[in-house]
Amino acid sequence: MNKMDVITSFLHAIVVYNIPLLYGTVGEITVEKSGSLNLGVEGIMAVGAIFGYLCGCYANSLGVGILVAFLTGALCGLLFAVLTVSLQANQNITGLTLTTFGLGLYFFVGNGVKASPKGFPTMSNFENIQSGFSDRPIPLLSKIPVIGEGLFSHNLLVYLGIAIAILMWWYLRHTSVGLRLRAVGENPAAADSVGINVKLMKYLHICAGCGIMGIGGYYMALNMSGSFNSSCWINGYGWIAVALVIFANWSPALAILGTFVFGFFNTLRVSGGSLALAFPNVLGWLAKIPTQMYQALPFIITAIVLVVTSIRNKRGSSGLPAALGLNYYREDR
Amino acid sequence: MGLRVVKRDGLPLWKRAILYLSAVVLALLIGAAILLFLGVNPLDYYYQMFTMGTVNNPIAYKTFMNYIKELLPLALTSVALSLAFKMRFWNIGGEGQFIVGAITATYVALAWGPKLPTAVTLILMCVLAMVTAGLYGLLAGFLKVRFGTNETLLTLMLNYVALYALYFVGETKADWNLFLQEQSARPVFKSFKDIVAFPMIPIGDKFKLTSCVIFTLIIGVAIYIYLKYTKHGYEISVIGDSAGSARYAGMKVNRIVLRTVFLSAALIGLAAAFKVGSAGVLSTAITDDVGWTGIIVAWLAQLSTGMIFLVSALITVLQFGSTVAAATFRQVDSSFANMLQGIILFLVLAADFYTRFRIVRVKKGGKAHE
Repeated sequence: MNKMDVITSFLHAIVVYNIPLLYGTVGEITVEKSGSLNLGVEGIMAVGAIFGYLCGCYANSLGVGILVAFLTGALCGLLFAVLTVSLQANQNITGLTLTTFGLGLYFFVGNGVKASPKGFPTMSNFENIQSGFSDRPIPLLSKIPVIGEGLFSHNLLVYLGIAIAILMWWYLRHTSVGLRLRAVGENPAAADSVGINVKLMKYLHICAGCGIMGIGGYYMALNMSGSFNSSCWINGYGWIAVALVIFANWSPALAILGTFVFGFFNTLRVSGGSLALAFPNVLGWLAKIPTQMYQALPFIITAIVLVVTSIRNKRGSSGLPAALGLNYYREDR
Repeated sequence: MGLRVVKRDGLPLWKRAILYLSAVVLALLIGAAILLFLGVNPLDYYYQMFTMGTVNNPIAYKTFMNYIKELLPLALTSVALSLAFKMRFWNIGGEGQFIVGAITATYVALAWGPKLPTAVTLILMCVLAMVTAGLYGLLAGFLKVRFGTNETLLTLMLNYVALYALYFVGETKADWNLFLQEQSARPVFKSFKDIVAFPMIPIGDKFKLTSCVIFTLIIGVAIYIYLKYTKHGYEISVIGDSAGSARYAGMKVNRIVLRTVFLSAALIGLAAAFKVGSAGVLSTAITDDVGWTGIIVAWLAQLSTGMIFLVSALITVLQFGSTVAAATFRQVDSSFANMLQGIILFLVLAADFYTRFRIVRVKKGGKAHE
């Protein structure tokens, strides 16, 4: 392979393999901005993945897959909201249970379909899905040498993910509903007293956020070409997303950047070897770093970010919603 | 007329028990509906699951031995977590602390086991696993106390740092790596079964009880007494109610938090030492998710030490029984257990609401009716 081609495919891989992180992160930011800490991302993505993939295949339509993934994710969110917002259940416990339940449901449905006479649907049998998930180069931009093919020639779900992130950034930052949502996450009692419907805000954003995570799960399924085996498609991406929220300082725009930073390490793990091979003098050392180091890096970086921000402790500069993880009970006001 | 949610004072124990029990029964009914849908007789399945296939089984004693092997680390980890939870310190880092303890204990067994007497090795395994795991937990505790770092998120991150460290030692062939078999070309964890193991107590002619059962029970009782009848236990419960009033009462809150977090993490390290000391080999799946499940168990048991033993015994039946039942009922995947566990918990969480709150009718503009 040409040396420049190695770089191009490296850039391409950073985007393609890591956009699910962006979906998970933007979804979780939406939830956390309402003051709810949802540790169920991994499970919700798994649920969105399995139902989105199966329904998408049976309907032979990418759109149906996306829709179902969103709806099943949102249903998980509804469950979370009913338990934590209306029934005042502990958010950590509910989220962790959602992960256990979601992964259980994922394998239960997946293995069930696999054991059925028709077997598990193979992605290559479904033209519309296959072609829907193929790369669509952006005119002009994709013609830029080296980086064009790498950054500006991707499938629809990549563009959708980035669009959702930008929209969500704008929504949180520049709309009045977004402002009210942030007020709920900061101080629900104060928000309540100025007439904001705290419950409604929480319900809506928890469901929408979880729906976005569901689409991320569906993306993972397609990326794995729908090959179902003993390890889950999501494979820890949900947990990295929880970390990425902190790294991105609760900003969907920074989440795009964060996705590429985390994705960079993730991709080095997979294709660091070919980079080292193409540029032995400059990047030869890459081959010596253990792959587990790359896997641990997102969590190490996040832990450091978490600690450093708490040391600086400048409220206002941190995007951490002040009421994160606390349930709001009106009578306690 | 409208509905309003009001807090209620403690519900009598029997009423709470009925609420929780009906939640579990309802969950089992939902599970039964799923089983019926798959064409499986729910009664047969549940029978197989709850008896773990031991009825009329000549090797039932083996099932019981494996069951206890799975139960002990879960029970001990849950008890340990409950200590931190009582202070509202959200230690989600059980997985990481367990892994750190397991790596330490294995190192001791492999490096020093051949030279030292068995009893000394075992004690060193336990003590050092407790120290390292305890320090790993203390790291989050210290940052929380000193800088207010969010302990839920930090311990969560530390879980994965520990996990990939475990992968690293498990997948890297190197001269320094004494965790792997030298003879094998592929990386395989070295067994130390022949070097050191916890003594087994024979009961009857076939059944052997691991001595860890006795240790775990002693620790359980000790923690119960510690929480209920000592000054430390009292301090923990005061801080759990309100750190502010604890400070007002002159307690050194930070010191108490650090001490308790260390103890909590150290006990998880001990659970890990028991686990590897019984298995005789490390593995990348050594935790069996007890750090996660333990959180759920501790919470389900409402942080009461006695209840934790009961709940972890039941959860283990659920998980262990469903793998056994999966062998008989091919159409029901063993992941059914996780799903059922999730449904049970969701319903218990819902039932819990009614033990703390009640819904009353209110007239427009009026006060709540009693």
